[in-house]
Amino acid sequence: MVHALHEAQRVLQPGGLLIDLRPAPVHRHIGISNNGSYRELGVMRENLGDDWAANRAVQHVVAEGLFKPAWRSRIECDRVIDTYKEFQVWLAEFVELGRMPSHDRLAKRVENALAAARGKKKIVIRAPLILRVLEKLG
Amino acid sequence: MALRIDPEKNEVRALQQVTDWRGKRVLEVGCGDGRLTQRLARLGAHVEAIDPDAERIREARKNMPKGLRARVHYSVGNASKLKYRNGSFDLVVFSWVL
Repeated sequence: MVHALHEAQRVLQPGGLLIDLRPAPVHRHIGISNNGSYRELGVMRENLGDDWAANRAVQHVVAEGLFKPAWRSRIECDRVIDTYKEFQVWLAEFVELGRMPSHDRLAKRVENALAAARGKKKIVIRAPLILRVLEKLG
Repeated sequence: MALRIDPEKNEVRALQQVTDWRGKRVLEVGCGDGRLTQRLARLGAHVEAIDPDAERIREARKNMPKGLRARVHYSVGNASKLKYRNGSFDLVVFSWVL
């Protein structure tokens, strides 16, 4: 990660901006939206170790004097999935990447809630993003 | 998979507050299927977008609207070894990469 930040610093012009945009290191909230109203069904327990490592990498290049923090913002960001089958695929990708254990109980809750809901419904994954802006020094 | 990320477009609104993107030379690292790339190009940036996954780059090229072609160039590339000269860009965007 630090090497990638060094490369970004190299290709930026002096005073250029590095924008680090990624999910905040918090667990994702899962719910369903039904006719415009949101109901939360559970919270994922994914491994956030990579996120903390990324934060440390950013701190490292700031401490090296390559960048200075210019701005930071938290952005509310939903991911929306229409069907339970697609939600299962999305969950399975997390498990395959080793980022969390199986979430069968949460998946079952989503399946049941979708089956019980009437009208227009979708699965909503809520997790904020962090937008961090660093200015190249020198 | 029909996963829609940020349908409210909060992300692009926040990016608009960072700078005036018009005419800026931008390197987007980790462009994936080009979702954010298109949003940056619509803000007026010239975007060089890279991703290590050749399949995602093919998908991004396929998804790109004609009107943005002059402002976006996709290629396979890795964050750890960028193929660009020193000082080539005004902005570098790490898009869910670190």
